[in-house]
Amino acid sequence: MSDIDDLDRILLSEEPLTPSSGFAAAVMESVREVAAEPPPLAFPWARFAAGAIACAIGAAASVAVIAGVDWAALGDTFAPLQAAGPDLGYAAAAVAASLAVVRLPRLRRV
Amino acid sequence: MPPVPEDEDAVDARRVLAGDVAAFGGIVRRWQGRLINLAWRFSRDRASAEDMAQEAFVKAFRALHTFRGESAFSTWLTAIAINVYRSWLRDRAPLPAAGDVNDLILMRARSAAPDALAGLEEHERAEAVRQAVLTLPPRYREPIVLFYFQEMDVSETARILGIPEGTLKARLHRGRELLRRKAEASRASRAPRAPRDE
Repeated sequence: MSDIDDLDRILLSEEPLTPSSGFAAAVMESVREVAAEPPPLAFPWARFAAGAIACAIGAAASVAVIAGVDWAALGDTFAPLQAAGPDLGYAAAAVAASLAVVRLPRLRRV
Repeated sequence: MPPVPEDEDAVDARRVLAGDVAAFGGIVRRWQGRLINLAWRFSRDRASAEDMAQEAFVKAFRALHTFRGESAFSTWLTAIAINVYRSWLRDRAPLPAAGDVNDLILMRARSAAPDALAGLEEHERAEAVRQAVLTLPPRYREPIVLFYFQEMDVSETARILGIPEGTLKARLHRGRELLRRKAEASRASRAPRAPRDE
């Protein structure tokens, strides 16, 4: 990088530009505007912490409830529903088909 | 541009952070020439250069709390300015292609009086090279502009750009090669053509 060639000479020899007279004042005006802006809202760490704790308690409670469920007894409770399974399936399919038809866009008249 | 004592900037920065906004005026006065001249080398347009420099100062004001004094104030400020100029150029209309620039310069030179043409030639050639720098891809343009702006100081240029010196040297080498090719193409396009047979 020590040899100064024609390219170096041209790129080194720039005429310095003098700032216009009002430049510093214009910058300071912008800076004062920025300084007068209200500070950005701080992240609500307290609310975030309260929400996180509530979520953790909810998750722990769910785990405790699920662990306490007697699944065998639950099977007996829902046994009648199992018998009606196919009928419920047809009913659910009919409701789904009806909803799908309602959601379909209507054909436009030409 | 004479070197600026670093402690003046540190003192002003502390005063600004303590709430004295007017103290930023000292920083602006000391560094306005540097930031405008650097912006000028990226834009070749005075009005744009001042707009770019103003944006850089405002960005520096917002980021003043991040200046820890680990690097020189000039390095910190110039790095901010380079980032602002990079975004500014990316968001604006693309720069003219080298061919367009050369055509424009050639047209202007030909329209000048014949006796003035010789004097203009050197100036126009230098200006064509400087314009050609603007047509380089950003990865070469930024190192080239900053390296010559820093009067060929490799380590300071690398620090400002945040790249290793080896990477900088490689980009400078490649950038200068591209520039030389552009200059040769420009010279070839200016060479007098043989008169055609009528």
